[in-house]
Amino acid sequence: MNNHASDIISVENLVEVYSDATKALDGISFKVRQGEFFGFLGPNGAGKSTAIKVLTTLLKKTSGQVSVAGYDLDKSPKEIRKVIGVLSQETSLDVDLTGRENLRLQGRLQQLHDPVLKDRVDELLKLVQLEEVAKKPAGRYSGGMRKRLDLASALIHKPKLLFLDEPTTGLDTQSRAAIWDYLQKLNKEEGITVFLTTQYLEEADRLCRELSIIDHGKLISSGSPAQLKAALGGETITLTLKEGADALLKSKTKEILKTIQGVSNVIDSDGDIVAYAKNAGQIMVDVVTSLDRNGIRPAFLSISSPTLDDVFLRQTGRRIRSEELGRKETEPFLM
Amino acid sequence: MGVALLYDIQSLLERYLTKLVRNPTLLATNLVTPLLFLFLFSQLLTKFSAFPGVSGNYLDYLTPGIVVLNAMISAPQGGVSIANDLNSGFLSKLILTQVSRPAILLGRLLTDVFVVVAQSAITIVVGIGLGVTIATGIPGILLMLVTVAFFELALSGIFLVIGIKTRKTETISAISGVLFFPLIFVSSAVFPTSFFPSWAQVVSRYNPVSYASNVTRELVQGGLTWSSLLSAYAVIGLIAVATFATTLYQFRKVVS
Repeated sequence: MNNHASDIISVENLVEVYSDATKALDGISFKVRQGEFFGFLGPNGAGKSTAIKVLTTLLKKTSGQVSVAGYDLDKSPKEIRKVIGVLSQETSLDVDLTGRENLRLQGRLQQLHDPVLKDRVDELLKLVQLEEVAKKPAGRYSGGMRKRLDLASALIHKPKLLFLDEPTTGLDTQSRAAIWDYLQKLNKEEGITVFLTTQYLEEADRLCRELSIIDHGKLISSGSPAQLKAALGGETITLTLKEGADALLKSKTKEILKTIQGVSNVIDSDGDIVAYAKNAGQIMVDVVTSLDRNGIRPAFLSISSPTLDDVFLRQTGRRIRSEELGRKETEPFLM
Repeated sequence: MGVALLYDIQSLLERYLTKLVRNPTLLATNLVTPLLFLFLFSQLLTKFSAFPGVSGNYLDYLTPGIVVLNAMISAPQGGVSIANDLNSGFLSKLILTQVSRPAILLGRLLTDVFVVVAQSAITIVVGIGLGVTIATGIPGILLMLVTVAFFELALSGIFLVIGIKTRKTETISAISGVLFFPLIFVSSAVFPTSFFPSWAQVVSRYNPVSYASNVTRELVQGGLTWSSLLSAYAVIGLIAVATFATTLYQFRKVVS
């Protein structure tokens, strides 16, 4: 791989093995260009948080080459910390301090002094719309407000590169939209490079211009959301058989679908069968007649535009969505 | 570098003091506990006035002992605080800033020193109000405060290690109970040791709490000797070196 001057993150063959021999990252490589809005999409336990911890100097890597903002991760962790901002998965504020005091403390520890610090705090409180509650202890904030304050404190020293570990997990729709809004603003107007991890398909699709999909510590697909979806070769046809359909019927159905011209891929998805086809609308008649000829009457049949979930399904045979609903594990951010 | 370190320590000290002031229960407990001990023991054990070594006035004997107790009551606070910061993720956030690593520990320790010195000053003032005379005057009071601050620092290292290692505040309270009750009672802090059985007199003689209490007591009653001052500081210094070496080792593993 070539190193471009415009790459703000460069990762080659990164491996992270925990002390209990769990391989959290299994040789991943990727690059992030300066000014990019880059995302890691994957289910819980895929290795997203581990990747962020390594890139932000909180966790020592087992092997591989990593450079962040032009600095080697092993040689210059201090320099890296100066230019990155980090929003961890668990909101980490001092709940006894007010919103303003939290930001001031963070700023002082980044060696900012008044009056520059005061102006920066005012500016950030305005950005995340917490001016009115700035004098209240953060312990009395709602989840969304805490997240916004945490985001502001990650920005206090004007980082070039912002890392966000599942920034909207556990937030309500409104707070999520607000966070999305700030992130887009920061990226577009201030040119901050954003590296975000998420398990939410919609979030990855809407925000990220570049995306890597990660599963079991490996990158399984990379590209822009549009490219990734286009690679599936058309629209998604989802077919549900009647209840009680056996494996034989299922495989017969799949065989029939594969014979239809235009269908590029046929995959099992939980109980459903998913096929991808160009101009799915036009071949729908062929699908129905072919199945009918063989005496198969599906319980449900639909056409939709492919989502990133389809990209994940194609690569892994599983869906992210079903794992989204699973219980959320929390682990302390630090080791 | 030096200026940046001071700025870091000042910022963190302000954080902890603000937290303390915002927690009225903790603040009140900190202020009331030494006075409560002073009143309770002086009322219950007034007959100790007649014991050898007490020289006729138990309150004179007790007050410098309570000053030493203040250090022991505050010592676990640093460990509790670091365990909380580790668990909440706040410590990771600190580590990601440019804050100097020693400042994270020093800021917390200075807060506890500040609290202990304030508690002890109040204890001494109330003692004087109740009739205690400090034979060595103001310089003696200052040396008492320095001694108790130093003792608190040495002991707090024990709890910093437990806090970093276990991240459980329950463990810290449990260990402080198990460790401190015997240390306090089998020492010269509260009781005149002359009525102890002989084994307890031996234990008490080598108990660090006795070393610290002897210094503060000799400052109140008069007759401080170089040997008790130096031996107390040597014992406290040894504890400090041992606990802080372990603390730094554990802390480096977390913040590296």
